[in-house]
Amino acid sequence: MTPSPEKTPSVKLAWAVSWSAFWTGFPLKLIVALLLLAAGINPWEGGGLIALLLVSIPIDIWALGLTARTVFLERLGLDIDAPVGFTLWWQGAVLGGLVLGISYYAVSGAVDVGKKVAAGIIGLIKKVFPHFPIAEQITVELLLWTIPVTILALVLLLIWLKLFGWCIKRLIASSGTTSSASYFERVRQWDSARVPDDVGLMITSFGAAMVLVTIAFWMVLPVTTPHPHQDYQMPEVSKPAKPMKPEDALKKTENSLAKAEAILASLEDAKSKESKKPERKGK
Amino acid sequence: MNALFQQVYDFVEERIGLKTLEAKLMKEPIKGGSRWAYVFGSVLLFIFIMQAITGMLLMFYYIPSADHAYASTQFIIHEVDYGWYILSYHFWGSSAMVVMVFAHMSQVFLWGAYKKPREMVWLVGLALFGLVMAFGFTGYLLPWDQRAYWATTVGVEIMDKTPVIGDFLARFLKGGPTPGQMTLSRFFVIHVMILPGALMGLAGLHLFLFRSAGPAGPFRGTPDELKAKTDFFFPRQVWKDIMAMGVVFLIISTLALIEPVQLLEQATPDPGDYHPEPEWYFLFLFQLLRWKVFSGEFGQFLGAIAIPGLFMLLLVALPFIDRNPERNIFKRPIALLCWAVVMIGIAVLTVSAILNREFLD
Repeated sequence: MTPSPEKTPSVKLAWAVSWSAFWTGFPLKLIVALLLLAAGINPWEGGGLIALLLVSIPIDIWALGLTARTVFLERLGLDIDAPVGFTLWWQGAVLGGLVLGISYYAVSGAVDVGKKVAAGIIGLIKKVFPHFPIAEQITVELLLWTIPVTILALVLLLIWLKLFGWCIKRLIASSGTTSSASYFERVRQWDSARVPDDVGLMITSFGAAMVLVTIAFWMVLPVTTPHPHQDYQMPEVSKPAKPMKPEDALKKTENSLAKAEAILASLEDAKSKESKKPERKGK
Repeated sequence: MNALFQQVYDFVEERIGLKTLEAKLMKEPIKGGSRWAYVFGSVLLFIFIMQAITGMLLMFYYIPSADHAYASTQFIIHEVDYGWYILSYHFWGSSAMVVMVFAHMSQVFLWGAYKKPREMVWLVGLALFGLVMAFGFTGYLLPWDQRAYWATTVGVEIMDKTPVIGDFLARFLKGGPTPGQMTLSRFFVIHVMILPGALMGLAGLHLFLFRSAGPAGPFRGTPDELKAKTDFFFPRQVWKDIMAMGVVFLIISTLALIEPVQLLEQATPDPGDYHPEPEWYFLFLFQLLRWKVFSGEFGQFLGAIAIPGLFMLLLVALPFIDRNPERNIFKRPIALLCWAVVMIGIAVLTVSAILNREFLD
């Protein structure tokens, strides 16, 4: 039996949509990040980050639309007559920005306080057990501050999910219509939305996209390591000596001798001419 | 063109019965339909194939001798076209394989898929887990830098503590009093010959047993829902498997680009400033052994051999101890709690080992 949207917990609904949407958009974003990295651009800062965020917007809108419609059809038996992806994206982004901003300050504050408190507790333990070993100390201290920080982060995530779940429920209430299809038909409907029944089309389009991405990746990928070892010296390769051909060597020697003979003859000639000249008398 | 393909297909079909094979491989019904939770096994196979391909490419340049292993690895990184990427992919691929084995085992455990009639699939899976860890351990030595040398030294020392066979195993692997040429040769042969053969055989057996027992299917849902969702392996599960393989390939490539392999100094029996530690997936055990309770000869045996050994024995005995047919993890609170404790324990100890580094200088 299909549960009614009102009775479905907001957190569960938001989790079903956002978790699937994250994984649906993730491969496409990863391709962009990989291409940026291969081109030597850091996708986690500066221009690279801006490019990645900009590309992520249409991907997220598409992924949210697809997964939300899937969840509504399969779990709630609802069709939605509204731009689901865009509506949920901007609402989720606003809420996300808000909760993320609060989380940044709350979690970093909790980390600072937690570390101080943990250090204080470790100090007390050390007073009782002066030889408290370092390995145990590290693990106890880590647990002491990470447990409350993790709980806080989870609570903040739950708040975001709760708020996002309300947005989803509001969208369903305003634009949702009960699907007349049977459960079996609905399963086929949302399954086909994600994996086309046309196998030929699926393989061709996927294969073509992969070929394009591979070519782009290979074109920008550095041929040699982007992080060379500081002490690495390129091995000096001595050029192999050319094999000696006796005929060439003889010819070369003969040519050299002929040249030397010609030079010698011309020098002797010049010398004999010089000696034949009459000596000049002095004043 | 289609006619030509048809002719080739008919030719092969007549001889080996392609249609029967296709029906067996692709038309397998999946109870409750395709799921992302089922992709881990296929992804593991994909990672292994990629490791085999990149490993073979590396072998064109790698020289398994104590005199040349380091230089040839440096040559691969610095001189061979795209050699750095292939090596980095292979390096991160090995870590991905360990992560994926943990994910696959977790999924099987949480879904209760080890229970009757799938006990043998579980047992062969455990043997495969051991092989994956052995792959990581033997491959780590091959670059022959300080990290490789000392990780192996630590690993072999831990192995040495095993009763009865420990001393033999350690001596056999090292081939001498300290790691050297014999160690490298033996690790190389185990890594590129013995383990791949064993893995291929066991993976085949694992798949055969899995197909014989059939997929376990989801642990909840009404019979009508399960019937409505039941689908063949092809195309939806194949599609999900391919997508998951693509994502894993992208993640490994991204890691190879963010953190390409860089060697430390060439291996020497003097650690110098380097603090020996094993690969990251053994760090939790390494950190556990630093605890006071595990100091001394008996303590080291307890932490390095007895506890991990008992844990593995417990995993082997699991399908025979847990005979309750209930598969829903939310109705098996002890199992869920045990899994969470083990996972959190491994994570906390691994992070502790990393934090411990700053206290070593």
